[in-house]
Amino acid sequence: MIVLEQLRKVFGETVAVDRVSMSIPAGEIFGFLGANGAGKTTTMRMLCGLTRPTDGRGLIDGRDIWRDRYAIRPKFGYVAQRFSLYPDLTVIENLKFFGGAYRVPQAGMERRIAGLLRNTDLEGKRAARAGSLSGGMKQLLAVACALIHEPMLLFLDEPTSGLDPVHRQQMWDLLYDLSSKGTTIFVTTHYMDEAERCTEVGFLDQGRLLVKNSPEGLKESFTSKLLELEAEPIMPALAALRNAPGVLGVSLRSGRARIYAGDAETLLTQWQRAWPFPEARLLGHRWVEPDMEDVFKAYSQGYHQMLGATAPEATLHA
Amino acid sequence: MLSLTGILSVAYKETLHILRDRRILILVIALPPLLTLIFGYAFDSSAITDVPVSIEDRDQSDASQAFWKSIEQNKAFQWRPRPAHGPDVPDLVHEHVQGSLIIPHGWGQSLTNGKPAPLHLWVDGSDTSTGEEISGQLQQALGDFQRDSRNQMIDNLPVEVFDMAEKLPQEVRDEFGSAMEPWTLKMEVLYNPQQRFIDYVIPGIIGLILQLLTVTLMACTVARERESGTLYQLMVTSLRRTEIVIGKVLPYLGLSILLIAMAVAVAYFHFGTQFQHLWVLSLICFLFLCCSLGLGLLISSFCQTQTQSIQFAVFYLLPVLMLSGAFAPLEQLPPAIQMIAQTFPLTHFCHAFRMVNMHSVDIGFIAGDLVFMLLGAVVSCAGAALLLQRIQE
Repeated sequence: MIVLEQLRKVFGETVAVDRVSMSIPAGEIFGFLGANGAGKTTTMRMLCGLTRPTDGRGLIDGRDIWRDRYAIRPKFGYVAQRFSLYPDLTVIENLKFFGGAYRVPQAGMERRIAGLLRNTDLEGKRAARAGSLSGGMKQLLAVACALIHEPMLLFLDEPTSGLDPVHRQQMWDLLYDLSSKGTTIFVTTHYMDEAERCTEVGFLDQGRLLVKNSPEGLKESFTSKLLELEAEPIMPALAALRNAPGVLGVSLRSGRARIYAGDAETLLTQWQRAWPFPEARLLGHRWVEPDMEDVFKAYSQGYHQMLGATAPEATLHA
Repeated sequence: MLSLTGILSVAYKETLHILRDRRILILVIALPPLLTLIFGYAFDSSAITDVPVSIEDRDQSDASQAFWKSIEQNKAFQWRPRPAHGPDVPDLVHEHVQGSLIIPHGWGQSLTNGKPAPLHLWVDGSDTSTGEEISGQLQQALGDFQRDSRNQMIDNLPVEVFDMAEKLPQEVRDEFGSAMEPWTLKMEVLYNPQQRFIDYVIPGIIGLILQLLTVTLMACTVARERESGTLYQLMVTSLRRTEIVIGKVLPYLGLSILLIAMAVAVAYFHFGTQFQHLWVLSLICFLFLCCSLGLGLLISSFCQTQTQSIQFAVFYLLPVLMLSGAFAPLEQLPPAIQMIAQTFPLTHFCHAFRMVNMHSVDIGFIAGDLVFMLLGAVVSCAGAALLLQRIQE
């Protein structure tokens, strides 16, 4: 459904998106992960035909994302990062306006709007001004407006940022529901737990696509074991561990120090024999399964020793 | 292909924006009739009245008293006696007058001894027109006074003079008679026989108000969407840029037609201004509004924020207000400035409106103005549509 080939975007001196190639089959929930400024929004805007690619190309259903942008538009919906509906118009007026803008025939409009209001739980807010809704409701309304023309593809730019857990759950339920009906979903986020909900995940760092795989595949690409140490006091231990030879990185997880290292077993043996850090005491250790945050950290920090040959696209840009 | 649904959707949404912003809506609807009233009164009459001028009669002769009496009636002045034995150059500011007249000592006598002395007038030159007006009025009063005293002199001539005149040849007597008669001008006023200045300025007032409102209202529309990010949302829909532009202009066109009608109603019912050739005038108004709205939209598409576009609009409107010939004839400006003024739609609106309403010219005579406004509307709207694309690059 979506194919990117060496897609690139340069703003002046800055390379926002650097030769990204990937393909996203129809029906997927694709999660696009990356820090702020990694180039997620720019990639999405190029896909939506809002920004012209500097070079490379992208195809949606076989049509060029820039050249055929007017032809592609009816096929997808787009939910921008910022709330971009009309705050002085009511919920129903916003929906009707976007219906007209997408040339939805009058005949099916009422039924369509009723369905969307039901799915987004906004029936009680029909006559409320969009500007008066809570953050979560605004975001749900934005999704409803983007779905008014029943697109087969939905782009969402950080749809859950700033939402409370209840609305986040509601948003994801809505996306699952859409996906089960065959809609392809392309969503950017910087919440790692949300990445686990996607069928495919792509990591973007400084404009470059580091890897694209399923969440399971990504975790399996983690060949090294993950060591967690219990130490007291924990903060000095973290600082000391960070600079220890053989350690790539350390992060604090539930009060324990999680160690990223190429060969954690050897390190543990050494530390158990002689604990080299006088500022803290070693209390114990355990081995843990990597989660998405670990995977992302490993890819974005370039801990290649921890990622085995199974990482399919890790060497894509080498 | 343009879709009517698309245009109407944008127009409907834009109408809702207008209706929802109650404060601005009330202001916009109240302003045209109110400003027409205020400006109408301000420019109702161009003749000066009750200009405060001080006078001091240092002569105290029969002649000076008679002259004083003759000018006392003049409505143009409000005479105030000057403090006696004041300084030779009057202090206009502290006397709160705009001019000061001194009849010098021995003036009455000088009129009969063959060396008439001038009256002395000081005027405030900071306001260039009032000074001229005072001196003109006084010059005329002095002329009238001179004519009266000449007639009186002729009536009182000694019999010998007439006897002597009898002996002169007829031609010389006729020539002398003609020279003694005041030579006059017979003036006939065309196009505005009652010389109602209000009829001249009404198109200027209406044009000015509408120019102001259309440009400032329109200037915010696209910039607001750019600021709030909704422009992106619009651009991913099936709407074409032309549909967005037309859809945005339509409701404002409707609103401004309503406003122009209200201003015209005030002019007609309150000031009694007559409007001829209504269809041609409507066409002029329509094209002017299209052109002004287009310009506002162009500014809006060009600017990134609403603040920017309002500032832009003000910088554009300033020269337009001063130079478009709304209140004073354009012909008084230097040729180079006139050329600049020709690029403003308001200039063409005022010219065409006056030509049709006051001079009853046929439509061919103002074709140039109409074509200019039409082109302005098309070019500015096309430019706005083109600039909308900029967010895509």
